Amino acid sequence: MEKKNKMQDQLPVIELKHVDKHYGQLHVLKDINLTVRRGEVVVIIGPSGSGKSTLCRTINRLETIDSGEILITGEPLPKEGKDLARLRARVGMVFQSFNLFAHKTILDNVTLGPTDVLRVPKAKAREEAMQLLKRVGVDSQAAKLPAKLSGGQQQRVAIARSLAMHPEAILFDEPTSALDPEMIGEVLEVMTELAQEGMTMVMVTHEMNFARRVADRVIFMDAGSIIEENSPDEFFDHPATQRAKDFLNSIKDH
Amino acid sequence: MGVEELLSQFGGKYAQAFRMTWRLTILAFSIALVLGVAVTVLRVSPIKPLRLFGDIYVQIFRNIPGASLLIILVYAFPYLNLVWSYFTCVLIAAGLIPSAFCSEYLMSGINTIPIGQIEAARSIGMTFTQMITKVVIPQALRASVLPLTNLLVSTMLTTAIASQVPLNPQELTGLVAYINTHAVGGVTAFFISAALYCASAVVIGRIGSLIDRKVRIRR
Ligand SMILES: Nc1ncnc2c1ncn2[C@@H]1O[C@H](COP(=O)(O)OP(=O)(O)OP(=O)(O)O)[C@@H](O)[C@H]1O
Ligand SMILES: [Mg+2]
Repeated sequence: MEKKNKMQDQLPVIELKHVDKHYGQLHVLKDINLTVRRGEVVVIIGPSGSGKSTLCRTINRLETIDSGEILITGEPLPKEGKDLARLRARVGMVFQSFNLFAHKTILDNVTLGPTDVLRVPKAKAREEAMQLLKRVGVDSQAAKLPAKLSGGQQQRVAIARSLAMHPEAILFDEPTSALDPEMIGEVLEVMTELAQEGMTMVMVTHEMNFARRVADRVIFMDAGSIIEENSPDEFFDHPATQRAKDFLNSIKDH
Repeated sequence: MGVEELLSQFGGKYAQAFRMTWRLTILAFSIALVLGVAVTVLRVSPIKPLRLFGDIYVQIFRNIPGASLLIILVYAFPYLNLVWSYFTCVLIAAGLIPSAFCSEYLMSGINTIPIGQIEAARSIGMTFTQMITKVVIPQALRASVLPLTNLLVSTMLTTAIASQVPLNPQELTGLVAYINTHAVGGVTAFFISAALYCASAVVIGRIGSLIDRKVRIRR
């Protein structure tokens, strides 16, 4: 409760105002309003096809929106060009399929953004990258190519690559869904630490125990709309809508 | 004439011609690589007219014979007040045609890059240019080593169009024609040139697969 009160005072890092998006006829995002404040951990859950990934991708402008507004630390996202690239780097993204640069070593995957986008001197970027790799526990693999690493290791490198840009927030789209069960824990552990250190995070996940543990807020989406928005305990124990109840029951069966 | 007699009489010329063939090949292939990469960048650019230009470029040079292009450069371009040396004309013709194929190979190399990597590059704030130079082209090149090796061989064979013009010194095919007008070289003169082409191709092929093994990305 105390943390929550503090959060009300924090500046918003991500703001979506009346965001709408269509894919052709399909209305994928319907009047989405969402504010994520500094240090907040927001978990998005919902059935397949409800628009969770699309929502994450619009925040980073990997997808355009039809109408509404998206602000990052108060600044509207530019349409395209260098300004967009610059602002985009302020929000990190971790994907389900890791997406490491296959031709670059682990170390170079982490330093590429800092050296080329942020213009950090090479030596400094390397030093910091090594610290980040250590933090996520893959520093011993720094000289290898991504294909030599396990999925869990690759995903931790992807997190380090995001962190290297010193983002205001990181988006995670089902970061453990492509992993073998025995590797899920190591990635969730890194994410838990990040949350505890005060990183602003928005994540789509099907790991409900994890969500309950780390989330400050749970967003439940269905058919392109935000249906519920509540504290994790409140949401998981007393879902307000029938759709949320049905969804929670459906995943309990698994 | 036998091989020995031919070599004793024209051995020096063969050596010169062999060097000329390699020189033309390496220069033409360099042109092909640079233009091929440039045209490929146009073909994946977000600007539609540039994409269209790139596609048309490839369609043109993929579909005209090198010899025709050379004849146009040597005999038609002077009417436009564009007069180049025979050597330059051969280089242009033998470079432009493989550049179109180079671009085709790079495009299929690009298709092997998972879209997620492009999105990852965008999400760390890379501009289009950075993405192309640091992520897309390096991977496309690594994926295209074997077809590019074959392209190098076929570029070497394309340099034979130089036999259509008076080049000094001549390359391997031009030399065959020369020998046949000055002596009775016949099939043997051709056989020596062919052996040199073949030997070169084998060496290129070997080196190509070594490079491929080293740089190919296993996914
Ligand atoms: N590029 C696209 N073109 C057309 N339709 C798309 C595209 N991407 C997603 N969709 C559709 O938009 C809807 C929302 O997709 P989205 O990927 O955001 O759902 P999701 O909630 O992330 O689902 P999942 O849990 O399966 O990942 C789906 O119906 C999907 O089929
Ligand atoms: Mg999704």
